[in-house]
Amino acid sequence: MYRYDEFDAQLVAERTKQFRGQVERRLAGRLSENEFRPLRLMNGLYLQLHAYMLRVAIPYGTLSSEQFRMLAHLAEKYDRGYGHVTTRQNMQYNWPKLPDVPDMLDDLASVQMHAIQTSGNCIRNVTCDPYAGATAEEIEDPRPMAELIRQWSTLHPEFSFLPRKFKIAVTAAEKDRALIKAHDIGIQIVKNDAGEVGYKIIVGGGLGRTPIIGQTLREYLPKSELLAYLTAALRVYNRYGRRDNKYKARIKILVQETGIEAFREQVEAEYATIDISDIAVSDAERERITSYFASPDFEKLDNDPAELTEALGNNNAFSLWAKNNVADHKADGYAIVNISLKPKELAPGDITAEQMRATADLADKYSFGELRTTHQQNLVLPHVKQADLPALFAALEKVGLATDNINLITDIICCPGMDFCALATARSIPISQAIAERFADPERQRLIGEMQIKISGCINACGHHHVGHIGILGLEKAGVEFYQVKLGGDASEDAAIGKVTGPGFSEEELLDGIENIVELYLVRREEGERFLDTYKRIGMAPFKEVLYA
Amino acid sequence: MSSLKHKGKGPQAMTANELRDGYSVWLDENLDWTRDYSKSLRTEDQDLIDRMQLKAETDEAKNIVVGTYFIDIESDTGKPARYREKFRVAGPSYDTADLLETK
Ligand code: HEM
Ligand code: SF4
Repeated sequence: MYRYDEFDAQLVAERTKQFRGQVERRLAGRLSENEFRPLRLMNGLYLQLHAYMLRVAIPYGTLSSEQFRMLAHLAEKYDRGYGHVTTRQNMQYNWPKLPDVPDMLDDLASVQMHAIQTSGNCIRNVTCDPYAGATAEEIEDPRPMAELIRQWSTLHPEFSFLPRKFKIAVTAAEKDRALIKAHDIGIQIVKNDAGEVGYKIIVGGGLGRTPIIGQTLREYLPKSELLAYLTAALRVYNRYGRRDNKYKARIKILVQETGIEAFREQVEAEYATIDISDIAVSDAERERITSYFASPDFEKLDNDPAELTEALGNNNAFSLWAKNNVADHKADGYAIVNISLKPKELAPGDITAEQMRATADLADKYSFGELRTTHQQNLVLPHVKQADLPALFAALEKVGLATDNINLITDIICCPGMDFCALATARSIPISQAIAERFADPERQRLIGEMQIKISGCINACGHHHVGHIGILGLEKAGVEFYQVKLGGDASEDAAIGKVTGPGFSEEELLDGIENIVELYLVRREEGERFLDTYKRIGMAPFKEVLYA
Repeated sequence: MSSLKHKGKGPQAMTANELRDGYSVWLDENLDWTRDYSKSLRTEDQDLIDRMQLKAETDEAKNIVVGTYFIDIESDTGKPARYREKFRVAGPSYDTADLLETK
């Protein structure tokens, strides 16, 4: 795994010290709130509906067990015993106190972590396929490239005051687990006709109040040109992106208003002025970074060892979990394990300090000390021996982390909504819990198959409702919460924005409505169809009919 | 947020967040900050409202609270008029911390 070099360590240490001074001056009254607010936001500290909230960066969603233990420590010592995994693979704490935050940042720095660039109009934490380095589907591990972008974008002087925030996601697989088409820039590692590895650049995607699917800016970019090309794209955005209207300031609006062809020409024209050699990364440097992400020493093993096949035959709970939560690994005899953070009783993405510690221990024991966060608000143990799966499952069961619902109807993405968020228009957590309750029957969940429900508590769409197979948006009118429904959204490589069905629903009506949608799908589906496939085939009308029946 | 001049309708209460702990607070009858909304001062008396405004500005300048503003109160229920403010009073309807405490 990547380890900070001295440069990073020094930067984070200085930044933490600087923030400690700023907090001291704020508490002593030498900084006003207006002066302090941008400083705290630059360090990931928000003021929310009831309290402060600290957002900790998890670069490309990769964590060591040691880092995860530190996140547990923070939850216990400075917060209320839990943390929240966000749709951008970060960790949020809902109840920190201002005087404690410098200590929290010091503790984070001791394990090479921080909260820099988790807020503000800069290039945010780069997100990534959580199966990176473990799946056979990828051309190569995308994390060295994500790390390169992290280094380049950290405190980048030219790009620290963009018109608006800027989010980048990367993947190296055709199957998109990083939502690259809903980011300001999405990068996919691809091969050109000559078989050389390079990048496909997607631009102008985003959710929020104006959801837009990203478009291709460059089909193929040679590896060495990445940073120069990104610089050109960001310069065009920095120059022409709107600063007069916050709601039109994201690059997606610029690309839409300019048109992708003209925007591409502008980027290419800017690119022509850049001396690539100035900022090109040498092969040697790329190799140095890549070496940090070298695969662990996998043993030579066979697939489907006896321990696994026996357990699959005997233990029903285990086999259900294994069939649903475990994915193929690139190395024979290994597996990728998804840990669901969607048990019925907790809010989606929440994890207690005790569970964090247990998971860190399991990562040490079974996954080379490595784990991942996912944009679906779950965790991944990337490198588990197939023979260890039964023992791992038993250990996860003990700490309430063996929920076997990955990608099923109760694996819901959900933002904090009105329960915590200052911008919310309605609650989202109770809706997700009510849906989880309504569809609790594991057999029924399996019968329904892959189904992605995503819920946001306001139009900012942190809960990705635009790309949910069923998307739910919480709104409020005259003191009453109501919920608007979207159907047919898709967060995969075939990314699509869902369509609003019509007027919104009360919570009760919503639950019955979802039930009716699901029933109709089960009746109308053809062999092998997921809900989304049936929806695409038969269209909105029949679903609308049962929804408003 | 700077302290908003009250231009609301009906009874008013003054709210803010504590600078140190971040918790939501309201001014009570002694013009002290309380975390307990039930103790908050809710009034239509313009004199009192002016004093609340002054107190809020003073305490913001003294770095005791941040983001002070008036909220409208329903005269019949005594609750905040806006949905969001009702929620600030009630606290999260769900918090994983509550589950941990009862464990
Ligand atoms: C609780 C404090 C939060 C605040 C104040 C906040 C604020 C916002 C705002 C204002 C936007 C719209 C930005 C724009 O379009 O320019 C946004 C979008 C977004 N936020 Fe949050 N958010 C919060 C929490 C979260 C959480 C908990 C998550 C993940 C669970 C999250 C993930 C996202 C994502 C994925 C988007 C939308 C995609 C995009 O267009 O960039 N945010 N947030
Ligand atoms: S979608 Fe709205 S309610 Fe949900 S976290 Fe984002 S800003 Fe808050």
